[in-house]
Amino acid sequence: MDLDFTIVLRYYDALLIGLWTTVQLTMVCIALGCALGFVTALGRTSKNFALRAITGTYVELFRGTPVLIQLFWIFFCLPLILGVELSNFISATIALTLYMGAISSETFRASLKSVGSEQLDACIALGLPRSVQIRNIIMPQAVLRAVPTLLSNCVSLFKESALVSAVGMADLMFVGQNISNNIARPVEVLTVVAIIYFVIAFPITRAVTFVERRMLIRLAI
Amino acid sequence: MVASSPLVKMQSLHKSYGDGAVQVLKGIDIEMKPGERLVVIGPSGGGKSTLLRVMMGLEQIDSGSITFAGQPYVSSASREKKTLIDTEVRRSIGMVFQHYTLFPHLNILQNLVLAPRKVRNEPKASAEARALSLLERFGLAAKARAYPAQLSGGQKQRVAIARALMLDPKLMLFDEVTSALDPELVSEVEHVIMQLADQDMPMMIVTHDMWFAKNIASRVIFCAGGVVVEDGPPEQVLGSPREERTREFIERVFHIKQ
Amino acid sequence: MNYTFDFSSIAIGPLLDGLFVTIQLTLAANVIGIVAGFVLALLLMSPFAIVRVPFMLFVEFFRCTPAIIQVVWFFYCVPMLLDVFLDPLMMGILALGLNLTAFNAEAYRASIQGVPREQRDAGIALGLNPLQRIRYIILPTAFRESIPVLLTNGIGIFQQSALVAIVAIQDLMYEGKTLATATYRPIETFTVVALIYFAVSFPVSQVVGLIERRRALAAA
Repeated sequence: MDLDFTIVLRYYDALLIGLWTTVQLTMVCIALGCALGFVTALGRTSKNFALRAITGTYVELFRGTPVLIQLFWIFFCLPLILGVELSNFISATIALTLYMGAISSETFRASLKSVGSEQLDACIALGLPRSVQIRNIIMPQAVLRAVPTLLSNCVSLFKESALVSAVGMADLMFVGQNISNNIARPVEVLTVVAIIYFVIAFPITRAVTFVERRMLIRLAI
Repeated sequence: MVASSPLVKMQSLHKSYGDGAVQVLKGIDIEMKPGERLVVIGPSGGGKSTLLRVMMGLEQIDSGSITFAGQPYVSSASREKKTLIDTEVRRSIGMVFQHYTLFPHLNILQNLVLAPRKVRNEPKASAEARALSLLERFGLAAKARAYPAQLSGGQKQRVAIARALMLDPKLMLFDEVTSALDPELVSEVEHVIMQLADQDMPMMIVTHDMWFAKNIASRVIFCAGGVVVEDGPPEQVLGSPREERTREFIERVFHIKQ
Repeated sequence: MNYTFDFSSIAIGPLLDGLFVTIQLTLAANVIGIVAGFVLALLLMSPFAIVRVPFMLFVEFFRCTPAIIQVVWFFYCVPMLLDVFLDPLMMGILALGLNLTAFNAEAYRASIQGVPREQRDAGIALGLNPLQRIRYIILPTAFRESIPVLLTNGIGIFQQSALVAIVAIQDLMYEGKTLATATYRPIETFTVVALIYFAVSFPVSQVVGLIERRRALAAA
């Protein structure tokens, strides 16, 4: 069979619009998901049993089920339960934020734990009040340590966002599949779509290695 | 008389791990006078480091109490199994650890000024000026903007000492501060501690370095099995110990050294 | 909220059939991933760039593109490009198996490279030849080290397998969608389906957590 990749160029504006939706969705969910993840991590390490139980159940449920079913649930069930219409973008944002929050809370939890007890000893020996210990010593170190894994989580989120095409949201994947079906050129179109995803995700995975190495040299953490 | 009243007074300190399964301190009574430089030696697991950590309020105790300059600040409420610590009194004590424990995300200057600024609300300019002059004194002025990871072990430990001094402590605790260092870096840290000794800083030192112990101590305590076995001037405890256990320990340590 | 739940119309039979397909997919993909992933890891560490680079590209491509496009691409493009037609379940197994192969290869590579230098030195000092060092020292240690990641990746593929429903393989997700449409009970159906997925993944992730805690304890 003869392949003609130039045919994809004709649809570049449609693909760009799809990509823009994917990028917007990913960015919004990264910001919201990181915040949710941090708060959840604090909840999971709290002394309050109820708080621990609620956050623990949330994280385990979202880590233990396919993202696809989470999306279906939010798209089809949440509007019924709430009794309000939700736009595609809002539904997708809720679903992917909850997913990002769940995986990032694990990242933050691990990084909070990795701030050694020796650091706390030093804080006490210097007479630092609890609020200063948290704000000036534990938080900055925990966030710094979390950066590489958070970047990996962002890549995961970016990839998982392609699932919103399955519930009819016009992201890059959805647009690609549509074009591919219309012109019956799946090899060309789907390959190009895959390459677009790759071109964005790959540099971020390289950045993870770079950031890790730099932090190792500069801060030895 | 003021001079003879103790700076630190520990009374029958008891501590165990795992609901009394392992007893680390089995009744420690030590009085330390102002200006004394107390060196604590003894075998590993004998309770030396635990003693310093208890003094800093880093460990809970089962029973006993400690006063500092006449003020009680560590005591046990045995019924609640809780150790009460007066944090105000504790602020007069500085401590340096074996593993430096500098804050890796802050540069050297920031490490030094954090506590004075946050604990005493000292203005930034004055804290930084004091920090820089301390670093100057310790030969570390050039490293003020470096991060801990860029320093050698000896430099890190000198910074840790400077950081503790920023709070003008009335007593310094040194917990095996040279044990993690490469041999050629030990002396630069010991030199700094000697400088403090020359200024009559009271200190309590846990060390394995007998040469250093002999040179700096005004009094040596041999601690083993959670009790004070021997307590006296360095010539006695290190030179001609009265207790059999002390003698065995000293002989073994010096034998290993040669 | 004024919704009344009604689970009575949820037929568990089709869901269990779907689960059976999902588990077949998962197990078969794991067999591929565990075996081929290991071979791929060795190829990734080849001293010859001409061998190493293409396989690195293969791995990075699977790690840096959405699984959904890998599955869709596989279903549409492989038959066209290679002129072969397999039954859909087989296609699903291959697509997921290749994805898992890429992820497992990275896990194996990391743990092989994580074997401490001293272990190799000790092997040399004992007079073992290079093959013996790999066979008796490096591989056993590396394989044991990689078990938690292999389990995590394996259960990840169980969850990712839900997206073969998009290409009409009748797995748990597919049966769930069909049932939700047929009964007009999406909430109940999708909740039950989600719980089934959870009931399988959760114990495995607990086992991984247990192994990691025991190792951390042993290392301390």
